[in-house]
Amino acid sequence: MLKFLKNILLSLYMQYELVTCIYMFEPWEKKLINSFVILTLGLVLFSSFVYLPSYFETFLQFVSPLPQKEGSASYTPILQTQKMSMS
Amino acid sequence: MGNLYGDNGGVVQEHQQNSDFVNYCNKMQGNLVADMSNCGSGDLRARKNGFKANETEAKPVNGCLKNCSTNSTTCQQAKGKVCPNSSQALLTPAKKLKELAEEHTTKTSFEEVPLHTACLTYLGFYLLMILGYINQLLFVPKVAKEENRDGYVTLYDAFESFYSRYVYRRVRDCWNRPICSVPGDEVTLKDRVTKDYGWSFQFTGTETRCLNLGSYNYLGFADAKGPCAEKSEKTAREMGLAMTSSRVELGTTQLHLDLEQLTARYLGVEDAIVFGMGFATNALNLPSLISPGCLVLSDEKNHASIILGLRLSGATTKVFKHNNMRDLERVLRHNVVHGNPKAGGKPWKKILILVEGVFSMEGSIVRLPEIIALKKKYKAYLYLDEAHSIGAMGPNGGGAVDYFGVDPNDVDILMGTFTKSFGSAGGYIAGSKRLIDYLRTNSHAHCYASSMSPPIAQQIYTSMSMIMGLDGTDTGRQKINQLARNTRYFRRRLAQMGVITYGHEDSPVVPMLVYLFSKIGAVVRTLTTRHIAVVGVGFPATPIMEGRIRYCLSAAHTKEQLDYALDVIDEISDTLGLKYSRKPREPNPIEY
Ligand SMILES: Cc1ncc(COP(=O)(O)O)c(C=O)c1O
Repeated sequence: MLKFLKNILLSLYMQYELVTCIYMFEPWEKKLINSFVILTLGLVLFSSFVYLPSYFETFLQFVSPLPQKEGSASYTPILQTQKMSMS
Repeated sequence: MGNLYGDNGGVVQEHQQNSDFVNYCNKMQGNLVADMSNCGSGDLRARKNGFKANETEAKPVNGCLKNCSTNSTTCQQAKGKVCPNSSQALLTPAKKLKELAEEHTTKTSFEEVPLHTACLTYLGFYLLMILGYINQLLFVPKVAKEENRDGYVTLYDAFESFYSRYVYRRVRDCWNRPICSVPGDEVTLKDRVTKDYGWSFQFTGTETRCLNLGSYNYLGFADAKGPCAEKSEKTAREMGLAMTSSRVELGTTQLHLDLEQLTARYLGVEDAIVFGMGFATNALNLPSLISPGCLVLSDEKNHASIILGLRLSGATTKVFKHNNMRDLERVLRHNVVHGNPKAGGKPWKKILILVEGVFSMEGSIVRLPEIIALKKKYKAYLYLDEAHSIGAMGPNGGGAVDYFGVDPNDVDILMGTFTKSFGSAGGYIAGSKRLIDYLRTNSHAHCYASSMSPPIAQQIYTSMSMIMGLDGTDTGRQKINQLARNTRYFRRRLAQMGVITYGHEDSPVVPMLVYLFSKIGAVVRTLTTRHIAVVGVGFPATPIMEGRIRYCLSAAHTKEQLDYALDVIDEISDTLGLKYSRKPREPNPIEY
């Protein structure tokens, strides 16, 4: 079972190497590109976990036709909506 | 420079492959030339594949063509419409031509590249380039410096040397592989390893016996044993290895004269002339046939030798889209109507249509009957390069002319090489007696180049008489049938597997599209570990988008060998992801 999983992962990695042409690179170049990719992915994931929910909430409030509840959030969403509507 | 790029899996024809790179460059520049002399007469530059090009709307040149809708078959209709009111009647009725065009489209396999693959291919290519530049900045290897050359022009073109060092080098082990046996149905590769990622190679001293799917040995005459080899050996002992003189001086022997006679008989024309080198046959004879003031219409996928010949001749060259009769007719019509713009619109001295029988990179076959009809309609000349088709096509091995059953006298200049099907070297030009006599006095390759070596000529003579059945056996015919069966079987099995192949179903050159640069390397390497030798072709020999693996079939292959190869290809195209095709697949097993 573990071996099977490993094989699948290996073949997936092979596909990834092939479609990005990483297959052809020297080891240090592979490391460079892979760390770059991981870094970017990590940053994207991190920011989407940390920042996205709050942005999303503000955005929803901004678009939603319902009147806003007062004092719904402590980080002054009104300020942000104003900013957004200005831009 | 060529052999740095040679996309030839090193299996055999190094020079051929190397020239494919040159071919590409030439093509680009050839196109430039065409543009400059073109004075804006439509878009000749499109370097897309011809099949694709069939669908794009060409600029109508005059009223008659305006009703043409978008594909080549309707173009034939339009021609039919034009026919009655033009004074020149077509010899082949328009209806038949239409059928021919339809047949061509059904028999030719072609598929658009899937969009995501196209994007990935470009992405991968840019990555390769960027990292290549970084690499070049950080590490300058010793070989990359020119020493003591202050004040000289640099030897290498910057982009070219960059490309070969930092892109091509990474997969260099897949090309120019040294071999140490006759390239028959199997070939022995000398193993080599690289410790520095392709900068240098060391032989390990071991050898790998591989199934050979890379040689142009169409009829399987390349053999170290058998009647051909024995007779050539005998000739070498009797007459030596070289004539060390040109044909018009001391280099002509009875063997050469016999060979010319036999070639003319084989092709069914009046006379023929042979040369010691196929490339030179094109490159040196074209300048004696055409001159400045002539117009040449050349297919965009033509071979490097043809392009070199055209450049040397100084004639105006216009390129038409690959195998696209509609584009050819458009250019022809325009030039017949408007004449030579440099000479104030006077008619061109000659108009020559230049095509190949089987295109070695596309695997497509020329649409000969349609071209002959066009040529007759517009009174142009036709030069047909049968390098890959002679011997390999047609029921009697007579090339594209034989395959379509047209009259060989309808083709003004029949050119071909002995390098492929005959397992030898050299080239010929055949045609009317007047043409050949003219070449005998005017051709540089005849007057100045060294004549063909006797054992080479003997090999051609023996194999040609075997194909013609003059040796009293039917070996030749068997070989032709075997090749035809192998070709059909192999192509259909590949299509069933779901990989994308290009070209005509009867053409023994089978390009399989893998698109990505890294996949070319991966396929060639994996197949070598499974004991199959193939040729990979990538940029710059093909457009960036269209990296491919090229299989060349041979009559020497047996069904078992092909089955083995196909099974392996099936397996690796699953693991490497080569099954791009979205066409419906044949559910039933394919019969041999
Ligand atoms: C169309 C065409 N013409 C000419 C040649 C040159 O022939 P040779 O290899 O005998 O020099 C080749 C290939 O090699 C070819 O493909």
